[in-house]
Amino acid sequence: MKPTTDLILRLEKVTKTYRTKGGRFGQAGSRVVALNRISLDVRRGEIFGLVGESGSGKTTAGRLVVRLEEADAGEIFVAGTRVPELKGRRLKQFRRKVQMVFQDPYQSLNPQRSIFDTVSEPLVIHRMGNGAQRREAVAQALKSVGLSPPEDFFLRYPHQLSGGQRQRVAMARAMVLGPEFVVADEPTSMLDASISAQIFNILLHMRDKLGVTLLFITHSLAAARYLCDRIAVIYRGNLMEVGEAGEVIERPRHPYTQALLDALPRFGQCGAVRRYNTLLGAERPASQGVGCAFYSRCGVAQRLLCSTQAPSLRELAPGHRVACHYAEGPEAGTATTEACFYAT
Amino acid sequence: MERDGHKNKTRSPQLERFLEGWSIFVQNPLGKIGLTLLVCFGLMAACSFIPPLLDPMYDPMTGVDPLITRSVGPSSAHWLGTDFMGRDILSQLLAGARVAFMVGVSAAVMSILLGCAIGMFAGYMGRVVDTLLMRTADMIMVMPTLLVVLILSSLFGQLNIWTIVLIIALFRWPGVSRVIRAQTLSLKQRPFIEAAKVAGASHMRIIFMHIMPNVLPLAFLYMTFRVTSAIIIEAALAFLGFGDPGTVSWGMMLQWVWKTGHMFRAPYWLLPPGLCISLITLSFYMLGRAMDEVLDPRLRKEAEAE
Repeated sequence: MKPTTDLILRLEKVTKTYRTKGGRFGQAGSRVVALNRISLDVRRGEIFGLVGESGSGKTTAGRLVVRLEEADAGEIFVAGTRVPELKGRRLKQFRRKVQMVFQDPYQSLNPQRSIFDTVSEPLVIHRMGNGAQRREAVAQALKSVGLSPPEDFFLRYPHQLSGGQRQRVAMARAMVLGPEFVVADEPTSMLDASISAQIFNILLHMRDKLGVTLLFITHSLAAARYLCDRIAVIYRGNLMEVGEAGEVIERPRHPYTQALLDALPRFGQCGAVRRYNTLLGAERPASQGVGCAFYSRCGVAQRLLCSTQAPSLRELAPGHRVACHYAEGPEAGTATTEACFYAT
Repeated sequence: MERDGHKNKTRSPQLERFLEGWSIFVQNPLGKIGLTLLVCFGLMAACSFIPPLLDPMYDPMTGVDPLITRSVGPSSAHWLGTDFMGRDILSQLLAGARVAFMVGVSAAVMSILLGCAIGMFAGYMGRVVDTLLMRTADMIMVMPTLLVVLILSSLFGQLNIWTIVLIIALFRWPGVSRVIRAQTLSLKQRPFIEAAKVAGASHMRIIFMHIMPNVLPLAFLYMTFRVTSAIIIEAALAFLGFGDPGTVSWGMMLQWVWKTGHMFRAPYWLLPPGLCISLITLSFYMLGRAMDEVLDPRLRKEAEAE
C-alpha cells in the first residue's frame, strides 16, 4: 500500500521532562528528560515504528499523542488539531479518532468487567448506536481481531482468556470506534513469539482493510522491520535516525542504530556476519547535556565535536535523516566477523 | 455480605470469586463460629415480633405483668424473669437484638458509603482535594466519638435512635476512607484506567464503573468492623443514660439494671444483655477476620502452613 503524503501526526520540537520527587518544600528534585525536542511526521495510512531501548522515551511519546500526558513544550498535531489545547467536548471528539493499545494485556482490561462490557464501553461513552447496533459493532470488532465466534466471548471475563486473547480484546476495544489513528505501545512485549506474529498480522490487517494509521512503539528492530513503513530510532529522548524501514535497517547511518543491529541475535547462520562495532566497550563520562546524547557509548564519536555540540537531524538520502556528525563517512559496517551461530 | 452473581450460565468473576471465597470462609473456624452466632442473633431479632402478639403483657416497652410489681427470676410465664416493673426480660432481649442489628448495620452502611465516596474521590482527584479531605478525616478520626455524642446529647437533650446512628456514621467514616483511598491510589495507576481515559470516559464514569467494583470487597470487609463499633457505642451511650428512651436496646436494659439497684441481686437480668452485647460484637468481628482471610491470600497461606 502506497502511503499518501498527507500528514496525520506531526510533532514539533516536543519536550517532556519528569521531575523526581524532591524535598518536602518544593526543593528541586532531579529532572529526567524523557523527550528532547522531538520532531516527527507520520503520514496517513502508514505504520510508523518508534524504536528505542527501555527508558528512551518512546512510550512517553505515545502517551503524549493520545493525551494521557501533557508536553512541556512543543506542538502536537493530530489530523490538523492541536492536541495539547483540547478540552471538554472537543477532547471527547478527539478520543473517538485516536486510540491506544497498551503494553500489558494483563493490566489493561478491567478484571471486573466482561469482554462485551469492555469492548462496548467506547460506544457507550460516545453514545453511538442502540443496543442491537452496539452488539453488531462489538461482534464485528472481535471478529476483525480474530476472536470468533465473537458471541462466545461476550460474557467471558479477562481472567478466562490467554494473554494473546486479552491483547486482541484490547485491540478490539481500540478498533470499535473506527479510529483514524492508533498508538500501539509495545503490544507484543508480554506475549510469545508465535502470538506476536498473529498480533502483527492483525495490525497489518487494521491498516490495509480499515485504513488506520499506526504508531507502533517497540524495542525490537526485527518487529519494526517486519511491520513498519518508516522507522524512527530514539535514544534517551533524542531522535537519532528517521527513514524508510528497509533503508534504516539495510543502510543504517547512525552509530546507535548500527549498535542496535549488532545486538540482534542471529541463530543458525554461518559465515560472514556484518558488524558495525560502534558500541563502546566501556562508557565514558556523559556530555553534560550539551553534546550528543549517545556520546558516552559511541565508538565513532570524537571528543572535541561530539561532546560539545549536539548534532541536528540532516537529510543524507531522500527521506532518510540522521542526527550524527560522522554519519556520512565512508560506508560503515564493512567489518565482518567470521562466526557461526547455532540454533539451540 | 458479598453479592451473589445473577448469571449462572457464565461464571462471572464476582460469582466465581464469591464461591471460592465462600469455601475459604466456611473452612475458617472463626468464620464458622461467627456466622453461626450471627444466625442465632438474626433468629432472635426475627422472633422479637412474636411475644407481643401472644399477649400484650409481653410487649418489651409497655407490657407489664399485672401480677408482678418487682423483679422476679425465671418462671414458666417469664422464661428469663421480669424487670423492676414486671416487664418480660426475654421479649426485651429479643427486641434488643433487633435494635442492635438496626443500629449496627445502618450506621455501618452509612459510614461505609460516606467513607467509600470520600476515599475514592480523594484518591482519584489527588492534590488539593486529597489533602483537604484527608486532613478532615484525620481531624474527625482523633475525636473521641463517645465523648462527642455525650456532649451533643447533653446539649440537645435525649437523642433519637436514628440521630445516634447518624452521628456514629458521621464519626466513623475516616478509617474506611483511608483504606479505600489507598486502594484507589494503586488502582489509579493501572493501565485499564488509562484505557478508559483514552476511550473518553469521564471522571465519574471511571470512579463508579472502574474503580468502585474493585474496592467494594474491601468496603464490605470494613463494614463488619464498623458494625461492631457502632453496636458498642450505642450500648455504651444507652448504659450511660443517653440512649433513646423510646427504644429497648441491650445497653438500655443494663442501664435499668443498674439504675434500679439490681446490679448484683438479679443475675438473670444483668447477664443476658451483657452476654448478648459481647457475643454479637464478637461474631461480627470474627466474620470480619474470616473475610479478611478471604481477601488477603497472605493470611491464608500462614493458616495453611500451621
